[in-house]
Amino acid sequence: MNQIVKAKNLSYKINEKKLFQNISFDLNKGEAIHIQGENGSGKTTLLRIICGLTKPSKGDLDISTDAKITFLGHKNALKQYLTIEDNLSLLNLIHHPNLDQFLQKFGLDGCLDLNLASLSFGQQKKIALLRIFLNDSNLLIMDEPCVGLDNQTQNYLSNFINDELKLGKSVLFSSHIDLDINSDKLNLS
Amino acid sequence: MIKKFIHQFASPKTYMFQVNRAYPYIFYFSVIIYSLSVFWGLFLTPEDFVQGNSYRIIYLHVPASFISQSLYLAMAIASAVYLIWKVKLSVYLVRSIAPIGAITTFIALISGSIWGIPTWGTWWVWDARIVSTLILFIMYLGLISLHDSFNNFEKADKFLSILVIVGSVNIPIIKMSVEWWSTLHQPASITLSEKPAIDLVMLYPLFGSIIGFAGIVTCLVILSSKFQIFRREKNKSWVNDYV
Amino acid sequence: MNIFRFEFLKLSRKSRGWLGPILVFVLIMIAYPLTVEVSNLELGQSFFSVLWIATLLVMMLATEDIFLEDYNDGSLEQLSISDGNLSFVIAVKIFIYWMLIGIPISIIGFLFCIGITNSSQNSIYVLPIILVASYIFINVFSFGNALSLTKGSVLGTLVTLPLLLPLLIVLGKVIVAINFGLNYFGFLLLLLGILSIIIFIVPMIISYIIRAHLE
Repeated sequence: MNQIVKAKNLSYKINEKKLFQNISFDLNKGEAIHIQGENGSGKTTLLRIICGLTKPSKGDLDISTDAKITFLGHKNALKQYLTIEDNLSLLNLIHHPNLDQFLQKFGLDGCLDLNLASLSFGQQKKIALLRIFLNDSNLLIMDEPCVGLDNQTQNYLSNFINDELKLGKSVLFSSHIDLDINSDKLNLS
Repeated sequence: MIKKFIHQFASPKTYMFQVNRAYPYIFYFSVIIYSLSVFWGLFLTPEDFVQGNSYRIIYLHVPASFISQSLYLAMAIASAVYLIWKVKLSVYLVRSIAPIGAITTFIALISGSIWGIPTWGTWWVWDARIVSTLILFIMYLGLISLHDSFNNFEKADKFLSILVIVGSVNIPIIKMSVEWWSTLHQPASITLSEKPAIDLVMLYPLFGSIIGFAGIVTCLVILSSKFQIFRREKNKSWVNDYV
Repeated sequence: MNIFRFEFLKLSRKSRGWLGPILVFVLIMIAYPLTVEVSNLELGQSFFSVLWIATLLVMMLATEDIFLEDYNDGSLEQLSISDGNLSFVIAVKIFIYWMLIGIPISIIGFLFCIGITNSSQNSIYVLPIILVASYIFINVFSFGNALSLTKGSVLGTLVTLPLLLPLLIVLGKVIVAINFGLNYFGFLLLLLGILSIIIFIVPMIISYIIRAHLE
């Protein structure tokens, strides 16, 4: 089984208003797809359909049974009133062996007992990205992962993704910024 | 196969066509039946020994309370059909029954109050049946406002039908809990199992008025459902042809 | 087990989430005698109505954003994507709410009951009733708030209140039964029966509703 996602003629409409029509693509192991399109063209909806959150109005979507999804959406699923440590334990990442390495890299190692609310937007985004960096899945889905990130972290993210692709994982992401990731482009218009 | 049959039969287009054909017959039939029964009830039956003439409001009160509960039952069935077979028409019907149900429940409450003044000397008591009717009224209002608060019709439909079904579980509970209350309200005059506690002279016009009232309410539901179908399917080509 | 720990962590660290409702409850219990200028005996007679209504309102207050926070910050969509059982998580969440709010309220209500009615005999009977009733209240309000998730709690209340009025009637009957020494355990069994059905069905319905919200 080399194929992770196979989408055929996906269409989506809300209250009879069409968002996108007849989107088809295949995603194999070790491949990445960069979803592009204007605001409101349905990028987020397409990613949510692949996650299984939303049902397409028409079309077939086959997701391989051994696919395990890690999803990073607009909402980062972090609790503002909890400390970083508590947030990481909610994400089941607190005992991950590589955690310290990443925290050091992002300069967050000394402040595990700070409230999340005291961090800047970009720092919070980095905490959310830990879900990608410490993933144990084979299908990574990211919705605008670069919003609020500095250049250094963006580069680090693209390098990381390229390494993951070499390991045979699959990646689907939407981004306005051109990331340096070996990816096919999928245009929603 | 059942699914296919239902979908074919229950397309809004077919519904609209059939309903338009039947509408005038139902309308004239029920108006005639209702006015005849009410005329019979008001002028051709004797005064009640205890309540005098005031009891004659039953020709409005009894049909309204009976129909208000039956409409809820109809909604519950339609909601189940929608959730199981995804028949769009049935959820249109649920949405269009809700305001009519609220109106009939309101009529039942008001006519009961008016009846209460000469009979009990008060227009409102915290009595079992009255409270359960009031709860029904609030439920109808809740259903309407829930459905109207969502812009996404598909979500709204799902939530509406879930709430209708959960609420229908509540109806026997209401009945049970209020039965325990001591009550001013007279027990139901007509039940299926027992001999009617009302004289036959008054019973026939009462039955007539229930049938007539049901017919009139059906007409209202049909009008309301036509409005809902136009609202929901205004982009479909057949609606444009129709208009 | 992790789910219990996580839900407990989330609610217990948010003190306005659980302490707020409890304080409101205490406030009602203290304020109520101040507004009635009668002898202690008559105070005891209407005390139970106030107790039930206070429990109802406080539970309504407590569950106001039981799912809203997780919905807004994206935790619910993560839960829905992961293989975990959404309705089980919801059942746990409701249980934690009851543990942190329902149980303290029941005990406080019980203590006030002893103080105001001066009858520890009757108050002992009230304790299990209020424990069960608060659990039912939380479940039903959670259902209403799940339906009106993004639409505010007014709608949720309008939708749920009709479901709860029969329960208030039953609670009223319970007090009559306690005061006159009638069949009290029948009512307790009835409430337990309702609870045991609700406890399984409500989380399933809510998880269906939440999936629909996420669409």
